[in-house]
Amino acid sequence: MSKGFIFNHIKCVACSACSAACVLENGWTIRPRAIFTYNHEVSPYLPLINISLACNHCETAVCMEGCPAKSYTRDALTGAVIINDKKCIGCKYCQWNCPYDAPKYNDETNTIGKCNLCFSGLIEGRLPACTTACPTGALSFAELKMQADKNTFPWFPDKNLSPKIEFSGKKNYDLLRIIPERVAEPEFQIVREREKTLSGDWSLAAFSFVSTISVAILVSSFFKSIFPDKLIFTSLLVLAGTISLFHLGKKQRAWRAVLNIKTSPLSREIAFFILFSIFSLVAVFFQIPGFLIAASITGLFLLISIDSVYIYSDRRKSVLMHSGQTFLSALIIVSFLSGAILPFIFIALIKLSSSLYLISVNKNTGVDFVIRFFRIALLLLSGASLISGISFSGNVIIFLFLTGEFIDRLIFYIDFEPLRISSLIKNQYNTLNNEKKRS
Amino acid sequence: MEEFITACPRNCYSTCSFRVQVENNIIRRILPYSGNLATPEGTCIKGLSYIERHNSPDRIIHPLIRTSKGKFEQIDINEAFDIISDKLLKIKQNYGSQSILWYKGSGMSGLTNEIGCSFWKAFGGTTTTYGNLCWPAGLEAVRLTLGSVKHNVPWDLENAKTMIIWGKNPAETNIQEIAFIARAKENGCRIIVIDPIRTLTADKADILFCPKPGTDGALALSIARILIDEDLINSSFINKHVIGFDEFKKSLSVSPAEAEKITGIPSENIIELAHIIGRKGPVTILPGYGLQRHLNGGQTIRSILSLSVLTGNIGKSGAGFNYANLQSYIFDYIKEPLSYYPDTEQNFPFRRTISMSKMGTDMLKASNPEIKAVWIERGNPLLQSPDTNNVKKAFAKAEFKVVVEQFMTDTASTADIILPAKDMFEQSDIIGSYWSPYIQYKPKVILSPGEVMPESEIYYHLALKLNLKISPELIPEPGNEHIEEWLERRIKGYSELNLKDLKNGPVLDPRLQHIAYEDMKFETPSGKIELFSSEAQTRWGTSPLPDYKSCYPQNNDDFYPLTFITSNTASRIHSQFGNLKIIRDTVQEPAVVISQSDASLRNISTGDKIRVYNNTGEICSIARISNRVQPGTVVLPNGIWFNEGGGGNHLIAGRETDMGFGAAFHDNRVEVEKADQL
Repeated sequence: MSKGFIFNHIKCVACSACSAACVLENGWTIRPRAIFTYNHEVSPYLPLINISLACNHCETAVCMEGCPAKSYTRDALTGAVIINDKKCIGCKYCQWNCPYDAPKYNDETNTIGKCNLCFSGLIEGRLPACTTACPTGALSFAELKMQADKNTFPWFPDKNLSPKIEFSGKKNYDLLRIIPERVAEPEFQIVREREKTLSGDWSLAAFSFVSTISVAILVSSFFKSIFPDKLIFTSLLVLAGTISLFHLGKKQRAWRAVLNIKTSPLSREIAFFILFSIFSLVAVFFQIPGFLIAASITGLFLLISIDSVYIYSDRRKSVLMHSGQTFLSALIIVSFLSGAILPFIFIALIKLSSSLYLISVNKNTGVDFVIRFFRIALLLLSGASLISGISFSGNVIIFLFLTGEFIDRLIFYIDFEPLRISSLIKNQYNTLNNEKKRS
Repeated sequence: MEEFITACPRNCYSTCSFRVQVENNIIRRILPYSGNLATPEGTCIKGLSYIERHNSPDRIIHPLIRTSKGKFEQIDINEAFDIISDKLLKIKQNYGSQSILWYKGSGMSGLTNEIGCSFWKAFGGTTTTYGNLCWPAGLEAVRLTLGSVKHNVPWDLENAKTMIIWGKNPAETNIQEIAFIARAKENGCRIIVIDPIRTLTADKADILFCPKPGTDGALALSIARILIDEDLINSSFINKHVIGFDEFKKSLSVSPAEAEKITGIPSENIIELAHIIGRKGPVTILPGYGLQRHLNGGQTIRSILSLSVLTGNIGKSGAGFNYANLQSYIFDYIKEPLSYYPDTEQNFPFRRTISMSKMGTDMLKASNPEIKAVWIERGNPLLQSPDTNNVKKAFAKAEFKVVVEQFMTDTASTADIILPAKDMFEQSDIIGSYWSPYIQYKPKVILSPGEVMPESEIYYHLALKLNLKISPELIPEPGNEHIEEWLERRIKGYSELNLKDLKNGPVLDPRLQHIAYEDMKFETPSGKIELFSSEAQTRWGTSPLPDYKSCYPQNNDDFYPLTFITSNTASRIHSQFGNLKIIRDTVQEPAVVISQSDASLRNISTGDKIRVYNNTGEICSIARISNRVQPGTVVLPNGIWFNEGGGGNHLIAGRETDMGFGAAFHDNRVEVEKADQL
């Protein structure tokens, strides 16, 4: 095996010398290395464990694979996974894909920065600064003997990436006995909100939904053998393209987003978007049926590629089967707009069962539940209208139907939660602490 | 790039050796030096921050003078010396030299600190302080019992089978010790922490006992009684090496049930703890310094030490009472704690009438002559001395204040003249340590920025201006080569060691006992371990035997509900380091830590502005709710500057410990309220 970080949690007291040494050596304005503490809240019911983490320079570097701009490389001599911030477009996709929170967004440069294993020093024979600095010897850098034991910490992410980190030290989870026995004080509530919500991702929600609509309009036009309105359709595409830029830290480098079609789902998404735009605009402006077929097919691939961008980052069943997937939404919109009742009922049933499944797996509270309920109500209402043929007013019902689909897309972003150590720690803490508190 | 071996001169257990790389007069890297077995893995985050500290844009590198508008202005260093010498001379002529208070803190250790003493002696003497803010009660307690203050080398800790970390928090204050604790733990040692706070060290323990603050003595004495009652003591050790056992046995009045009432620890757990100490040795006790910063601090340490004595855990590997190890202080004229006594320097022209602990009131009280001028070096007494309000008053009363400083501290900002102070890389020196056994040479590795001068040169120039009779033996000429000559002369005759040996890296004194008291020789009057100490009674007026007295006399009129503790944190040595960016970016903002139940009672949430007050004073700060403190206790870290919501000493009365002239920092109660209720 190759070299990597060896960490002994028994010796770590969260002093952050590693994190400071990293900054002092490399002059970062970000903190590539951070201490993660399980039971940061100091609950008397759970063990308290610190681990120091930066980048594990995984064999399977999903940050690099997923990067659309080819801004990651692997140093041949040291195996270090390195980001070049002159190439990074600031899309943050690597943050979704890395479960160890290694890529850090730099608000000053609007690019990602991360641990580079101090690779130039390593080549000269110096160890990474963090390992040299650790005053207790908890963190070191050496030949690894084995893979990070998957059972070491239940909250340590396991995505089969072969991270180059090994946990040494006794697996000691004995609870600290506190005398006199300290009960967690009854009011002691840990307010740890979910970190990832729609904020900041609004542009993604908007881009993916507008793309869905554009594709749906084009495909239904194909079925109805008419060409969509030039002005409306062009505006939709321009809107989608513009919105997608908002997500980037470095908008002027947006062109780099298609450089990694080979391995990055995000690159493919952008490439398909460009192809779709070209084909559909040719089709719409020159009214060439052949291009309409090509655009429709490209459009469907665009949606599949959008969905795969997310599935690549979050492979849980609840995301895979989500009713807010763009492909599924496009299909239901097409069937709705073309008045194809049977396909509509079929897809609506899939969407309904998915929504109900999601309600059952997510322990929904208040607002969240209302949104999901509202979404189902809108689907039922517009479905009933379509089937019964009662049209209140065509546009109103279409508006309600599309609103429902848009809400579904928003719910997708609520449910989408890539595997991250910080959320794993939080979830495990909450689950176990509540369990122990009750018993 | 040049590389040097050096050592950190802060007032800290670890006194780490480290390598420093210098390039173009800039500190490039701080790296571990593995030749020091106590600190082979290198410094803590504070040590790393020297890279920033040396070149910090906030560093004072030119003399500053307070203008009539109250602001500071840069002046030429010669002008500063002129003003200072004129002023000192005038004050001396008008009021006598003892109207000047010469205050030196613990900001930087080293033999060259003595040079100031030669200057002031030549000047005609001054008033100085006696006592020490930190650790003298415990030093005195150990000295009275064992005759000297030492312990096994730090790496022997791995051989302990039971470790009692009593009121010490090495995870934050002696982080290199964690490596030895972890190794002991992996060897099967049981780790017990006794602390009113669930510290970061407690997170590493098997059992945490949380007594009420200041009641450790009662806990120890009840354990002693159980050990004796259940015959868990080492009788042959006691017969051979201990005096006063019978008297001690007779005096033990605290039963486990009574101890439970005093400490809050259930009696069955006290018995369990006694069994652990009595049955599974070798036992090392690691007592901290916070635990003796109480009115009963000295007696508390004597009581805890009695447990090591009763069980024969002295003088062998894996055992001991690791309060302090002064074996590296081989060049000292008088060792602590004796050097803290007011009467030790009778032959000197110094008047030691000001207690470090009661600095404010003592300064105000001083008469014949009154205190007219203050000279402060290596210290920040305005922030760090108890009873801040009176210290402020006394400072305001003094007509001339000189502060030698690196940064605009709370004390520096009251000065009339600030002289820029050297940092650790700018002058050669020799330092010892009170935990690590090494004697270390600390070379000059870099030029001082601006007009920064080491104190030795400041004093040299002032002595010239004042026409004082000085010799190079007393005050060396400017230039590091002269300091090296001075050091060479200074250490001659104390040991086989010379400067050349020291320059090769940290060294151990050939006479070092790796296992302290291995020879079973004790420098007490009786030559034995003294559980019964007549000197305790004659010198300090305490019982000759260890005993327990509450720090809170009954019917106390100014009773406030919360015990206020100013513990030390990983990111600071007293008031140093907290101002550096690398530190501020790393640690949480300073706050008053309060339990959930105390916070709820007062409708306080984390992040709220709060007012903390008692009869001594008040501060405004930020609250943080934590499970780490027990209800009834609030904690504000030591050394937080006024502008950060600190200044805990506003709430701390100026009182001395029962022995050693220490400061009883931790016997104050406060009330806390939300600040926006006002």
